[in-house]
Amino acid sequence: MMKDVSIGRYVQGDSVLHKLDPRMKVILFILYMCALFMANTPIAMIAAFAVILFLALLSKISPIEILRSVRPIVFIMMFIFVINVLTIRSGDTLWSWGVLKVTSGGLERAVMLAFRLLLLILATSLLLSLTTTPLKLADALESLGSPLKVFKVPVNEMAMTISIALRFIPTLAEETDKIMKAQSSRGAEYDTGNVFQRAKGYVTVLVPLFVSAFKRAEELAVAMDARCYQGGVGKTKLHPLRLKPSDYLWMLVLTAVAFIPLAVDFLWNLK
Amino acid sequence: MDPNARDIAEYKVTIEAEDILFSYATNSGKNVVAVDHASFSVKKGEYVAILGRNGSGKSTLAKMVNLLETPDAGKLSVFEISADDDENFWKIRSHCGMVFQNPDNQIVGTTVEEDVAFGPENLSVPLPELTQRVEKALGYVGLLEKADKQPSSLSGGQKQKLAIAGVLAMEPQLLILDESTSMLDPKARDEFLHLVARMRQDKGITVLHITHDMHEAYLADRVIVLEKGKIRLNGTPPEVFSQVDTIRSLGLELPKWAELLYEVGRICGVKPEQNDFISEKNAVKKINEILRETDVSMISREERPTHEVDDQVVLRVNNLAYSYEKKEKNTISGIHFDVKKGEIVAVIGHSGSGKTTLISQLNGILRPSEGSVEIWDEEEKKYITTDKNTDVKRIRRHVGLLFQYPEYQLFEETVEKDIQFGPKKMGYDEEKCERLMRESLPLVGLSEEVLKRSPFELSGGQKRRVAFAGILAMDPDVLILDEPAAGLDPAGQKEIFGYIETLRSNGKSIVLVSHDMDEAARIADRVLVLKKGRQEFFGTPKELFAEHTDFIAMRLDRPCLMQTMLDLKKDHPNVDACLFDVKEAAQDLVFGSDGEVTAP
Repeated sequence: MMKDVSIGRYVQGDSVLHKLDPRMKVILFILYMCALFMANTPIAMIAAFAVILFLALLSKISPIEILRSVRPIVFIMMFIFVINVLTIRSGDTLWSWGVLKVTSGGLERAVMLAFRLLLLILATSLLLSLTTTPLKLADALESLGSPLKVFKVPVNEMAMTISIALRFIPTLAEETDKIMKAQSSRGAEYDTGNVFQRAKGYVTVLVPLFVSAFKRAEELAVAMDARCYQGGVGKTKLHPLRLKPSDYLWMLVLTAVAFIPLAVDFLWNLK
Repeated sequence: MDPNARDIAEYKVTIEAEDILFSYATNSGKNVVAVDHASFSVKKGEYVAILGRNGSGKSTLAKMVNLLETPDAGKLSVFEISADDDENFWKIRSHCGMVFQNPDNQIVGTTVEEDVAFGPENLSVPLPELTQRVEKALGYVGLLEKADKQPSSLSGGQKQKLAIAGVLAMEPQLLILDESTSMLDPKARDEFLHLVARMRQDKGITVLHITHDMHEAYLADRVIVLEKGKIRLNGTPPEVFSQVDTIRSLGLELPKWAELLYEVGRICGVKPEQNDFISEKNAVKKINEILRETDVSMISREERPTHEVDDQVVLRVNNLAYSYEKKEKNTISGIHFDVKKGEIVAVIGHSGSGKTTLISQLNGILRPSEGSVEIWDEEEKKYITTDKNTDVKRIRRHVGLLFQYPEYQLFEETVEKDIQFGPKKMGYDEEKCERLMRESLPLVGLSEEVLKRSPFELSGGQKRRVAFAGILAMDPDVLILDEPAAGLDPAGQKEIFGYIETLRSNGKSIVLVSHDMDEAARIADRVLVLKKGRQEFFGTPKELFAEHTDFIAMRLDRPCLMQTMLDLKKDHPNVDACLFDVKEAAQDLVFGSDGEVTAP
């Protein structure tokens, strides 16, 4: 029942975006984010939207799948829109009712902010969560973060921790299922009874789950020791992140694309 | 690490331990000696089995060999390199591979190939050699096509093979198996053991194998038996197992054929020699010899206790079928059987044959898609069904279920509270809960002293008993037990089966899921065989193991005892091969089923 849980929303594929080096994707994302925040004109926003469309086409992921990632933020978008539209007052008054007043400047600003958020989420999905496995993302962060080692930040160990956590999610999910069955055989209730009975029901699952997780952690540590784990020092990698010529090429193209909104913004302001 | 720093010179002795000692302090401040002045040596290429009860120090001893623990005193050298010198630490460890008991708790990688690469990565093996090693190791254990799969998609047997591959990729000289086969089903276990045998042959690897399985111990060149950290026996399997009384006093068992040999000898007053314990063949020869030379009229037959089964059917399963939503896996269909009062019904079948799905049906965790499950209600004198309209509590008052490795279901602060959790949930009053709890303790050999203790500070065997007591305290008429003895040492297993037999004579009905064909055949009144979710057979063990049964089609193994009896039957055609209790079989051999001994 809980065996099929997956982390992140990775969609399998072999598109250009899937194959692009994860580090490049992280950098690209940061560049796009900067461009998005620096662009201030409506026309630049449209250009930014065109960039997203381009990325979506490159990813070969179905539009429904992509739009699904927007769903959790619809409420926040609406909230930002309403707050801005009602508080920013510049330009002509379009509508008023008692103390509430909507101005043209406020409307423009609110649309821009909400739209910017939407684009940001779409970019996160397209570049990071939908086309990159969590493990590759951890690898990319480990590699990009390696300069921090100078400041004694345990970058390798942090990446190892993330990867082990990912590895154990299905195992622990399966275990939760097993414990729930065993406890309900003893009469524990999860979806019947009053609030207190239900809470007690979950205690019967959580306590054994924690006990077992600690035991697993201990045994895993011994097993890792036995396989000569000694931290990141000197460790080689089966699949090291290596930049291919195509990565450089696409990086150039995509960087240029990411800056289109800024360029449009700049040209618009020149006029 | 510098890859060259791990080169070791030629050696002849893999392990040389002299008077090694290891002790640790428990949380309560008590000092426990885990390994007590042990001395032993293992030659290069040798296969040594380490036996002993749970807590006898076997695992600690193994961990000392690859320096996961360092001895407090004594001298230890591995690959003829002294373990005292810190500089040799990595040299030794990087040539030792260890496979642990629980497959899940030793897999590090998020994919199969990443996991195999973990060891060599730590040894700084560079590309492209790393890739070659991973591919070679996965090919060797037969998991190459699973290379990019998630470990959680593998079966238990495949996970242990993955662990072996992870070790192989480090190119070890010594393989340490710490109860590596104890969580596997018989088929996976055989495959695992074959793999180890092949590695010894191909690569000359030395093997140190901690096990509770006596048949596995017999595969070894030498057996070391530990008790409370001390080495008690050290010799070839026949040298060790011919000391039957000592072996039993150390909490171990004999393989079935050896047990039969000893028992026939005991009845006839003959003590078998060491040579008779070399192999099953020798044992059969000796049994024949004893039978030939004994004058049966001089000895008397011992009475064997029998038990009676009530005619009242307490659980009835009618044409049951169940399939999970969206998944085709683990579906069952055409299940039709019944359980009588005071009866043990064993359910046997391979992993994935639908055993867990079936038992989940019996106490309302799952409800039937087709057919029905009926449970007898003694008070109302009628059957209740487990369909969706029946309150699940009503079902569970009659049917108790204990899953595999039930230790994990303990959660309360004290044993007392934990055992009472079930009865309280059934809505019984304080007094009744208290009474049920106290009644359940002796049934699983627990004393009242444990009641105030935390379940988490008990030993593994004791936890198992507390979990068992927690189900018994709900006072069910029918008990469903899923591999209740799995993972325990031989003495612990025997005790659990003893409790089950006592429960049966107290009028409880038991559905027992078991991999152990000998135990199932011995203890069960009737057997249900599942194969790929379908019922293949339901009837008495005698009917099942009758000689005309097609075992290969059913994917079953005969009980070990029966194999030996069939060998003996060649010389004694009147012998009944379908006797599953060693004592009964020995009596039959000596006295004959009709009281006559047939001359060879």
